[in-house]
Amino acid sequence: MKIIIKPIIALALCLMLVACNNSESTDTTEKPAKKENNRYPGKKVYYHSMDGTPTTADPVRAATVYTNFLVLNEFDTLYSYKYLKRPYELKTNLATAMPQVSDDGLTYTITIKKGVKFHDNKAFEGGKGREVLASDFVYSLKRHFDKKFKSQGAWLFSGRIVGLDDWKKQGSDYSQTIQGLQALDDYTIQIKLIEPYPQLIYTLAMGFTALVPHEAVEFYGDEFGSNPVGSGPFILQSFNQEKAIYFANPDFRQEPLDLAFEGYEESIHEFTGIKELKGKSPPFIDVMEVHFIKESSSRWNSFTKGNEIQFTTVPKEQSNSVIMTKKPLKLYPQITDNYHHMYMVEAGFVYSGFDMINPTFGNNGNPEHDAKNKALRCAIRKGFNWDQRNRAFYFGLGTVFPGVITPAVMEFDPTMSKDAISLDIEGAKILLKEANWNADNLPELKYHTSGNVTNRLFYEQFRGFLKKIGYPVNKIKYNPYPSFGAFNKALKNGKTPFFSLAWGLDYPDAENTLQLFYGPNKSPGSNNFNYQNPQFDALFEKAKIMQPSHERTVLYQELNQMVIDDCVVISGLSRNKIYLWHHDVIMYPDREILGGFFARYVDVKE
Amino acid sequence: MTSKTLTNANEFDPNNFEKGDSLWDKAWYKFKRDRMGKTGAFIVLVYFIIALGVWFGIWGGAWSDTSDDLWQGPSMQHLFGTNVIGSDVLTRVIYSTKVAFEVGFIVAVLSTVLGAILGSLSGYFSGTWVDSVILWLMGVLDSIPFYLFVAAVAFALKENPFAMHIAMIATFWTGTARVVRGEVIKLKGQEFVEAAKSIGVTETNIIFKHIMPNTSHILLVQSTIAFVAAIKSEVILSFLGLGVKDGVSWGLMISESTQDVLAGHFNNFLSSSVFLFVLVIAFNMFSDSMQDALDPKKVS
Repeated sequence: MKIIIKPIIALALCLMLVACNNSESTDTTEKPAKKENNRYPGKKVYYHSMDGTPTTADPVRAATVYTNFLVLNEFDTLYSYKYLKRPYELKTNLATAMPQVSDDGLTYTITIKKGVKFHDNKAFEGGKGREVLASDFVYSLKRHFDKKFKSQGAWLFSGRIVGLDDWKKQGSDYSQTIQGLQALDDYTIQIKLIEPYPQLIYTLAMGFTALVPHEAVEFYGDEFGSNPVGSGPFILQSFNQEKAIYFANPDFRQEPLDLAFEGYEESIHEFTGIKELKGKSPPFIDVMEVHFIKESSSRWNSFTKGNEIQFTTVPKEQSNSVIMTKKPLKLYPQITDNYHHMYMVEAGFVYSGFDMINPTFGNNGNPEHDAKNKALRCAIRKGFNWDQRNRAFYFGLGTVFPGVITPAVMEFDPTMSKDAISLDIEGAKILLKEANWNADNLPELKYHTSGNVTNRLFYEQFRGFLKKIGYPVNKIKYNPYPSFGAFNKALKNGKTPFFSLAWGLDYPDAENTLQLFYGPNKSPGSNNFNYQNPQFDALFEKAKIMQPSHERTVLYQELNQMVIDDCVVISGLSRNKIYLWHHDVIMYPDREILGGFFARYVDVKE
Repeated sequence: MTSKTLTNANEFDPNNFEKGDSLWDKAWYKFKRDRMGKTGAFIVLVYFIIALGVWFGIWGGAWSDTSDDLWQGPSMQHLFGTNVIGSDVLTRVIYSTKVAFEVGFIVAVLSTVLGAILGSLSGYFSGTWVDSVILWLMGVLDSIPFYLFVAAVAFALKENPFAMHIAMIATFWTGTARVVRGEVIKLKGQEFVEAAKSIGVTETNIIFKHIMPNTSHILLVQSTIAFVAAIKSEVILSFLGLGVKDGVSWGLMISESTQDVLAGHFNNFLSSSVFLFVLVIAFNMFSDSMQDALDPKKVS
């Protein structure tokens, strides 16, 4: 036994030492160490961090916030969003003005700025970047319909632009002209639509539509994603699994910061110090290092160390050491004294849903069966405790809302009935009883998700919710997948009668979430619910071609109500983020709709 | 059993036995005087009673309940506190005891039975093609890294709740089989086997009715080793997401506590770790004691 006890004591001592060491490294009461700029002497450097790793910087594959961040800083898009204005508002970027739209809403004419140059690169003749032309936009959009580039953004334009889909079918020959996508001259782009597409302008502010030079794509081939060449405010110097290093583009066009235009409000933005930047032209820093740190505790340690990364989101496990009160949100003085902070609700939401063409919870055409299953879905929704979900996993700061029109869009109605998100255990039990559901005939519920600790806890909590409405625990199974890709494949193949997902808005328009229920978008399209409601589809088709208006908002809200009434989805919660950054950094960060656009306005005090 | 006197309370004295005493009599006598072994057995018994209580629904039934009391520290209401979804940690730890015993028992029994049968066949037919095939099979299985093998089985049988059990049984039997094979090779040359052969007892009966019962002391020790190995493996596999799927286990609790620990909540981690640690230590003590007691070299 002595042989056993000695190593145990030694192990315990080691653990104690490690614990002491950890407690020191995560202590937020100490002043952060001063950053010493040895790597870039005389330069202004900003050290950014992200909680995921992009695999490419190619615009055709800018489907994640991480890739989008890289793309929006390396490349130019025609439009972008005002830096500080909320709700989000578009502004020109490479375009000279907002597009001229024909009366029928089918033809968009856009002019771009003259004299803008691509970054100098060996891909160009003589290594000097040439001028950005309208034909570059045409080329960049065509790439999405060339299968060799494996676009992740083609869905935005598929079936929208005259001739573009046919161009793909005919073999993606770049010498062929597309009727609906043309450069009228060096600086004028014309887009002709098959039917009105009011959201088109938002897509022109997405990383997917960034302008790339064909010379660089041809020169680097498959390596273009790690050797991107754009015309944006920064030039990517190196990019690997750990970090990306950008240098400021010395030739970036001079566009002085107009605070009033960008949405500056003294009461909201004064603390940031942005006022000092008025009239100066971005980018304001010389170097930007973007560190990809997935592990939240490592990111937190790096941030609090003081001389490493200067920006982080607050990890969930640090909530107790950061958040003093939740309503109203107050952070501990040791945080507010040492760092700037802001709180932001995401432009997206989390939800759980049912596959409506799977008879387990959906419909099979038999009115009796369909009515019974609707009662079951509604009962499950009534048993869902959003308050507990919010407090357990989202600091209790997430915004819970009924339906699928998120608080981030103009069409959100804060006065809407909260029934769909209210816990009603008795109501759920009554619904089940009335529909003749009991412990014996309730179907097995498999919780399909990608396998990780957090998702397992989601499942366990959900199982606890259902237990309270009388759902037998042994009928609620955990069905994890080894990766999100495997889960997504099952989802698209209709093998997930019940699933949980998150959706990030591509643009601030409720159409982006309502299209998740549009019949023709059924799996493998974005309608994972396989919701087929002719009334919904007819109304959606009417609304989707309308320009923003009160009338359209009313239609959107009707569509939202249909989804709620049919109990298709248990929704929703927009997650929150608490951003922290060092006092010596001047910025107003945003990884949502604005994405990487904010980085050009970042400054660092010397 | 006749009464015996000890020359020294902690020492085994062969002179205390009469000529007709069996190996089991001697083992029991020795085990009774091994305080470490008895302590281990007592602790295992306590755990077994906890597991029985869960089986009979006396306690642990609320392991899947959630509540508004998220991440609570120990209190009268929740003696071990609660986890991030408000589940009572003590209840989950208690329920996990049942899971551990289920896994341990199923794997120990089946892997020991399989090991005994194949080990006996291999030993009895040593030098023949039967022996070669079984030895080859054991070699192949032993050469595959355990956790890779389990991952492969778990992936292949992802709908099967017993994927983990099957993987463990498929690998644990080889240890038992090797030991049994050696013992059977020794036994098959003894007089009682020759006598059985001479009166025309079939080979099947010789193996299973005459030889195998004489390996029972080995099987008992091997089963305790397999039992504790199965419990440890379940914890590791569940931690890796390859183990228990729908219930809860100490491994899952440890896995779920990774975020708790970073946030300064140790209830889940400490409770499951301590329960696992004590059971494994106790079982090891019990197993060591059994090995000593049943070792013919030490007691005959």
